[in-house]
Amino acid sequence: MKQIKILGPGCPKCKATYTNVLEALKKTNIEANVEKIEDIEEMMKYNVLTTPVLMIDNEIKVKGRIAQINEIIELLNK
Amino acid sequence: MENQTLVKEICPTTTQAWVKKGALLVDVREKDEVEQLAYDVPNIINIPLSEFEERYTEIPTDKEVVMVCKGGGRSLRATGFLVNHGYTNAVNMQHGIARWVQKGFATKGDTSVVTGSDSCCSTSGCC
Repeated sequence: MKQIKILGPGCPKCKATYTNVLEALKKTNIEANVEKIEDIEEMMKYNVLTTPVLMIDNEIKVKGRIAQINEIIELLNK
Repeated sequence: MENQTLVKEICPTTTQAWVKKGALLVDVREKDEVEQLAYDVPNIINIPLSEFEERYTEIPTDKEVVMVCKGGGRSLRATGFLVNHGYTNAVNMQHGIARWVQKGFATKGDTSVVTGSDSCCSTSGCC
């Protein structure tokens, strides 16, 4: 199962990324464990400067902007 | 910002005392924000968060460094980044330029951009 993490302080862009991830998963029928990380200390452990950040299987895939649904689907299928 | 232990934080009043002792302020706001309103202190550099990963090595390791922004959130992340990269001389200033202005400390520019709201940095700090 894929591990997806969305890092961000809970701003609208972070929420949009989270929604897009859920939508992408729905469209692809891929099973994943999705986790939102809003705790600042936890975020700092990942050395995150600009948010939101999308991580798939512990790798930063998109940072500092909203990941789009099609883009997430592509990343999930890699 | 409360609930974190990775980064040491100080308030604007303590920062003011550190500045008098020669500490360097590193402002991580974007250039347009700094053009509107800037900290008026002798030792300050601007490294926007958007350029931080490429430019953080400009920050000295041999003097006291206080990281600052608009509300204290972006600078906290930048300080955490520095700590993770081995910096032991960097602290974060809580509450940013918004509280700095409230305290009546020196600035250059238009203070109205930070007055009138609590200005947590998440508006521009995020993304």
